[in-house]
Amino acid sequence: MIPAATLIRPRLLSSANSFRRGNKKNVWSRILMFGGLGIFFWLGIFIIFYRVLLYFHSVQDFGDILAMKFVSMIILTFFMLLLFSNLINCLSHLYLSQDLPLLHSLPVSANAIFLSRWLISTFDSSWMIIAFSLPVFLSYGIIFKAGVFYYLVFITVMLFMCVIASALSGILVLFGSKILPAGRIRTILIILGAALLIFLIFVLRFTRPEQLVNPDSFASVVLYLNSLQTPSSPYLPTTWVTDAIKSALKNEPAAYWLNTGLVITFACMLIFMNSLLAGKIYFHGFSKSQTTPQRLFAPLKYKGIDWENMFNFLPRESKAFAVKEIRTFFRDSSQWPQLFLMTALIVIYIYNFSVLPLENYPIRTIYLQNLFSFLNIGLASGVLSAVAARFVFPAVSLESEAFWIVQSAPVSIKNFLWIKFFLYYIPLIILAEILIVSSNLLLNVSDFMMVLSMLTIFFLVPAIVGLGTGLGAVYADFKSENPANIVTSFGGLLFMILSFGLITLVIILEAGPVYTIFMADLLGRNLSVAKMIWVAFSFLLAVFLCLLATFYPIYLGEKHLTVK
Amino acid sequence: MITLSELTKDYGTTIAVNKLNLHVSSGEIYGFIGPNGAGKTTTIRMMGGILAPTSGRIVIGGVDMSGNPVAGKKKIGFVPDRPFLYEKLTGMEFLQFSSDLYDVSRETFPQKSKSLLQQFALWNWADELIEAYSHGMKQRLIIASALLHDPQILIIDEPMVGLDPEAVHMVKDILKGLAVNGTTIFVSTHTLSIAEDLCHRIGLIHKGTLLAEGSLDELQQIAKLGEARLEEVFLTIIKENTFL
Repeated sequence: MIPAATLIRPRLLSSANSFRRGNKKNVWSRILMFGGLGIFFWLGIFIIFYRVLLYFHSVQDFGDILAMKFVSMIILTFFMLLLFSNLINCLSHLYLSQDLPLLHSLPVSANAIFLSRWLISTFDSSWMIIAFSLPVFLSYGIIFKAGVFYYLVFITVMLFMCVIASALSGILVLFGSKILPAGRIRTILIILGAALLIFLIFVLRFTRPEQLVNPDSFASVVLYLNSLQTPSSPYLPTTWVTDAIKSALKNEPAAYWLNTGLVITFACMLIFMNSLLAGKIYFHGFSKSQTTPQRLFAPLKYKGIDWENMFNFLPRESKAFAVKEIRTFFRDSSQWPQLFLMTALIVIYIYNFSVLPLENYPIRTIYLQNLFSFLNIGLASGVLSAVAARFVFPAVSLESEAFWIVQSAPVSIKNFLWIKFFLYYIPLIILAEILIVSSNLLLNVSDFMMVLSMLTIFFLVPAIVGLGTGLGAVYADFKSENPANIVTSFGGLLFMILSFGLITLVIILEAGPVYTIFMADLLGRNLSVAKMIWVAFSFLLAVFLCLLATFYPIYLGEKHLTVK
Repeated sequence: MITLSELTKDYGTTIAVNKLNLHVSSGEIYGFIGPNGAGKTTTIRMMGGILAPTSGRIVIGGVDMSGNPVAGKKKIGFVPDRPFLYEKLTGMEFLQFSSDLYDVSRETFPQKSKSLLQQFALWNWADELIEAYSHGMKQRLIIASALLHDPQILIIDEPMVGLDPEAVHMVKDILKGLAVNGTTIFVSTHTLSIAEDLCHRIGLIHKGTLLAEGSLDELQQIAKLGEARLEEVFLTIIKENTFL
């Protein structure tokens, strides 16, 4: 245990050192920003659950059954999330971290290394689930007027559930890495995880939850709720956790002591098994992970036809960057799940417009269709912001430590950033226009709205891409290995806030004039000169904001990256 | 070919390079030696256009690096001390990327890349991802890539780190051959035997200041050490700290 504690110390010291004065990363502003966002979400979750549970509680008999069913579903969801996140984290911490060769060269047992890495992985995978489960179960405690033991039982079983998920992941990873190199397992897990998530999204979406607002289908909802069964085998740890929380809520000491005891002892047994297995097979798996696996896919080439030739129209240096970017992007397995996920979300986005029950609303359909079309500009831009946050913002950082190649190459930073800009701008403008045009066609909007939507998107996309490229350069992190970490950094959040701010401003600037033009057209009236000036000014201001967001961040990025 | 005038880099807390003046002629191999933290890598990074000097001038092949860095960089082949590359490209794809950036003729590229990869014993690995390369292989690939556009000036930081003895011998021969053909080579190294073996002139930097400069004979005279090896000369000059 002592060597394991010593091995954890560098991680603790690194965290503590980030608070040191003179730290370039300005940790306090980050804490303030992330902390603020965290509290915002925490309160949001609490308010939503409190209101939902209050409503359930007010419905006699059926409400409490539903609330308790909800507990089982929440626990099962948390457990699945924990299991998946632990699998990925265990693989990284136990087999792929860069400090592992150093650790294995130290005079400590493989068991101690395993234990220290496993503890860090458990913490990394679990803290967020624990933090965000608190408002959920706090609202349960308040609504059901639970005593102090409920909170003790909840905290204990949640902590040990995290340990169980982590220990099970540890065992799976230990066995898996004995068979396959760790890098390959991670790729497979990431793909499987993404496939599972996409499947869940499609299943949820195609159950058509919008029918719930239709009173005619209520009978089927009751049937749906009746058939809603979560696994409740007495041998599953999630059942023990659920039963412990439920019995603590109902103040049934015998049941909560038994279930809490089962959870704790099972967790301890798993830790023991992990330790036993680690001593026997961990080093073997680690050793295997040090070999480079073969490429998963061979390069595509058909009878001398080369996809790179598509870029022959570009200047040579631009083509070189385009080809390099596409190759590295598609060969990086950490990019694939996000790509699948984005595709699934976009398909569902368009599908949603095809099933909007517009005919059920008493408001005039033509007005509603055009209103939706206008709001659709904001929604589509929002989707694009999310795509840009994931792919455009990290683009500069993903040059990683090889950025010296760009710095020492005969290409100016300005050109480099504009090449990056166009590499993402072209696919995104095509995607955005497809989104807007197809959803407008499904909504059957007026020609004016169609042109307006297309023009707004035409100006918003370069603004979002420019913002992403520029801020990505200002907040470039060339040390980060994972694009997901870059997105959730301070700069990534700033990009999201500014991007949504810009979209909101543009929508607000357009809303008044669009309404005026639309109503004038509908009522067959002409616009007064004053109104025409106001309309023109609003649209010009929106265009100016978009141009500013396109050029200024890239200028800032250039200034930041230019050699100092 | 290379002229550094009053070159200074001030990091705020430390002056890494302090009013450095030196000149390297065409076809010359100039060795830049000094203890850890002396300012070698900072100087090299400024010459390669990766760092901007606080003050002073860098002229590469007649081009002022502050005025036209892109033109200056076209004349340079740059090899950094740590071989970070695009891990998801193959060796051949990386060379193609470099050739596009440095505008190497498309007609000569296939033959040239093949001969460089063969020369650096990487031909069998040309179509493997760089992530599968060893440290030494990456280092060799970077050197091959730096030579692809026939640079007038080669700037190398620690050229032999991670290379096996055979590769060290090969790189030394290649560098000597390039110098004979007129390429100017600026080498920073810790390995004094390599500097002794390879370089026409050696500059000794310590705490950002050039302490001594000259051929091995001249340095021996400066250190008043007769026929001593470079290591002794180095240690004596560093100890005295007041030769220039």
